[in-house]
Amino acid sequence: MENAWLIPLFPLLSFLLLLLIGKRMKEASAYVGILMTLASLVFSILVLFERFQEPSYLVKFNWLTIGDMHLTAGFEVNQLNALMLFIVSLVSFLVHTYSKGYMHGDERFHIFYAYLGLFTFAMLGLVISPNILQTYIFWELVGVGSFLLIGFYYYKEEAKAAAKKAFIMTRIGDVGLLIGMILLFWQTKSFEYSEIFKAVEAGSVSNTMITLTAILIFIGAIGKSGQFPLHTWLPDAMEGPTPVSALIHAATMVAAGVYLVAALFPVFSASKTALLTVAVIGGFTAIFAASIGIVQTDIKRVLAYSTVSQLGYMMLALGSAGYVAGVFHLMTHAFFKALLFLAAGSVIHAVHTQNIEEMGGLWKKLKWTAPLFLIGTLAISGVPGLSGFFSKDEILAAAWEGGHPVLFILALIAAFMTAFYMFRLFFMVFTGENRGNQKEVHESPSVMTLPMLVLGILAIVGGYVNTPWFGSFLGDWLVDGNTALGHAHIEGPAWIMFAATIVSLAGILLAYLIYGKRSIAPDWLSGKGGILHTILYNKFYIDEFYQITIVAITKGISYFLRFIDVFIVEGLVKAVTGMVQGLGNIGSKLQSGQVQTYGAVAFLGLAVLVVIYALTGGYLR
Amino acid sequence: MSQVPASAFLALALILFCIGLYGALTKRNTVIVLISIELMLNAVNINLVTFSKYGLYPSINGQVFALFAMAVAAAEAAVGLAILMALYRNKKTVHIDEMNEMKN
Amino acid sequence: MTFTGEFIAFMALALVAIIGGVLLLNLNKVVHMVVALIFTFVSIAGIYILLSAEFVAAVQVLIYSGAITIIMLFGIMLTKPYDDSEAKTGKWRKILVFLGVVGFAIAVYLGIYNFDIKQQPSTLHEDNTMQIGKALYTQYIIPFEFVSVLLLAALIGAIILAKREDKEADKE
Repeated sequence: MENAWLIPLFPLLSFLLLLLIGKRMKEASAYVGILMTLASLVFSILVLFERFQEPSYLVKFNWLTIGDMHLTAGFEVNQLNALMLFIVSLVSFLVHTYSKGYMHGDERFHIFYAYLGLFTFAMLGLVISPNILQTYIFWELVGVGSFLLIGFYYYKEEAKAAAKKAFIMTRIGDVGLLIGMILLFWQTKSFEYSEIFKAVEAGSVSNTMITLTAILIFIGAIGKSGQFPLHTWLPDAMEGPTPVSALIHAATMVAAGVYLVAALFPVFSASKTALLTVAVIGGFTAIFAASIGIVQTDIKRVLAYSTVSQLGYMMLALGSAGYVAGVFHLMTHAFFKALLFLAAGSVIHAVHTQNIEEMGGLWKKLKWTAPLFLIGTLAISGVPGLSGFFSKDEILAAAWEGGHPVLFILALIAAFMTAFYMFRLFFMVFTGENRGNQKEVHESPSVMTLPMLVLGILAIVGGYVNTPWFGSFLGDWLVDGNTALGHAHIEGPAWIMFAATIVSLAGILLAYLIYGKRSIAPDWLSGKGGILHTILYNKFYIDEFYQITIVAITKGISYFLRFIDVFIVEGLVKAVTGMVQGLGNIGSKLQSGQVQTYGAVAFLGLAVLVVIYALTGGYLR
Repeated sequence: MSQVPASAFLALALILFCIGLYGALTKRNTVIVLISIELMLNAVNINLVTFSKYGLYPSINGQVFALFAMAVAAAEAAVGLAILMALYRNKKTVHIDEMNEMKN
Repeated sequence: MTFTGEFIAFMALALVAIIGGVLLLNLNKVVHMVVALIFTFVSIAGIYILLSAEFVAAVQVLIYSGAITIIMLFGIMLTKPYDDSEAKTGKWRKILVFLGVVGFAIAVYLGIYNFDIKQQPSTLHEDNTMQIGKALYTQYIIPFEFVSVLLLAALIGAIILAKREDKEADKE
């Protein structure tokens, strides 16, 4: 564990190497990235297993000293960090491997790997940080990595716009995080997580202040994790390459918001209001995004909205004091959502379209991808026996026990919707007739299917580390007697499990009836409630709403400022430059090269001085 | 000892210096400009020698300095002439107002 | 003020020197100007003798009236000084410089007009050359050697400056 700091450095090394010599290595640069992330993964696993036996490990050294204030840097390995290290490095490693096949033949292949390295470094650095300041630094670095990767196809207008949007919208959240961070520092005199928790526990911070800072920090998490109302960047971010979507916008970066809330959980749990805010936002986002996901036709966008929805679930869990449930779902979601994205990438790779209306009947043609996609779909739908079932059940129990029956019902409906739209996706892509005009559909190379296989296995068995049947190993380990984090396992009523199973199966059945068997007309939704469909299809007009309110106001302000800039600032600037230029012109005319003129001028100056000297009698009075 | 006051010598030196200065600043022929500068140096030498005799502490040092100044003046005249020759070969002129290479 | 011999000599020499200088400014032909300046240099040598600096006077005649004048004459002969192109600088500069020079002269004259230091008895006129020699080779030996280096450098520099053009001309 002493060497845990090496973990983020491997991808950084990869990034630097590829930046320097990537151009010459071409496709071989993939091996550098894969090797480096493999090293990170091995170390992460070692650290994780060590952490099972040993207590947390914390190293810090003084970074800046201002007066009697010390800012520190360092790294920490506690339960949450070790788990996150493992998840991030695993998914990153698999995505690195997968990308070798997916990005094959791309001109900027090595740059892609360099960016991946940078992002992985930032993400690993983020989860290993022992204080909130360091977290913030890596938080921003992660944003940069995401920006670069979304805009990787920079020649596509949409990709450029999406990258900008993602960056700006997460920045809005980051402002909240920054202010919250500064308030926390002001109140507790420290950036250290442990110091902050101590101060909060001791009650030296007023209740209002805790609520305020917690909510501000939560705004940062909203931005990063794509929660309502800052969620619109996440679906647009699907313009990036699919492996990127799997790595950043499914498994790791968007989970950073959840991680942040989890890491600062003691602060949140000290304020009922803050927890309720988190829960409400999470629950609302869960059902809100799920409802949009029902009608989308772009395979990646469906997955993106499902990501938003699942992240809402995690927030709901954390907000209902279900620390373990939230982190548990974070882990399982990372597995099955990365799997889904990689499988979707494989489908896109095969048929060269993202529109599910043009797919169909791919089950037989994609021998590996299709079953793996099915596993992912089953897992996210919460079918018993797969990982998603256990974590979702835990969340539902947490919501019920947390005393939010309304949120519980919302979550239940969202679970139903999730099952429905995921299977709608599955049936439309893999069954029925081929509606597109793809002639040859090939299965992806093994370098792409193998990572999917690994994730598929994890999506099945990942849930068994924390089940009501075989003991809550993960929960016991995560909480480890720390009362601030709540209970290791929430024992919900048994009927919750049945309810969850029933709603997910009902969703699957409905999807089967509509899209699989076609016994119900597929357009019943658009036919019956035309308005509803339009609203959903246009994502509740959130983007448009932003367009006419915030964007318009911003534009107005910018036009006004531009006016000031053009006519006042620029006028001043021009006056200054004109003056300098005029002086320069006069000066350059003096530089005539006439030696005698120079001499004459110099002498005249001397003569004037001497005359003044003589007239004043030697003293300047 | 002497009927001629020191200020007379100094005034003579001043007049010669001013003549040399005026010549150096107005004449167009570079040779004349150089000669004018020599004249100015000479005026300075007169001052040095005057003070060596009529100064507060008469001593031989003033004359020695005058000799040094003459050596420097001779060297300056030689180098100045050489530069003038080089310029003349390039520009085919000795007029100082046409030698404005420093402009560019 | 009585008209002693010394006074008359000073007045005559000063007059010749100043007339030489004025002629330098006003003659038309360059060679004439240089000849006028020879008068100035020689009379300055006379002034040096009045100031009991016989050795300096001799050197003045040798260096200025002899060497430098000859160098200047060579310079005039090797160039073509009678080129009557239009002057590029206007009259205004001449007037300005003249005013400046006059102002400067008056200002400085105000300074030296009342120069009144009680004359000290001096022994400069006795064995003047020996005194200079002693000073040069004892107290001023290092500057003296430096002057020799300077003259050597000037010699080499002048040769290089004047010669390089020939080679370039050959190349062409």
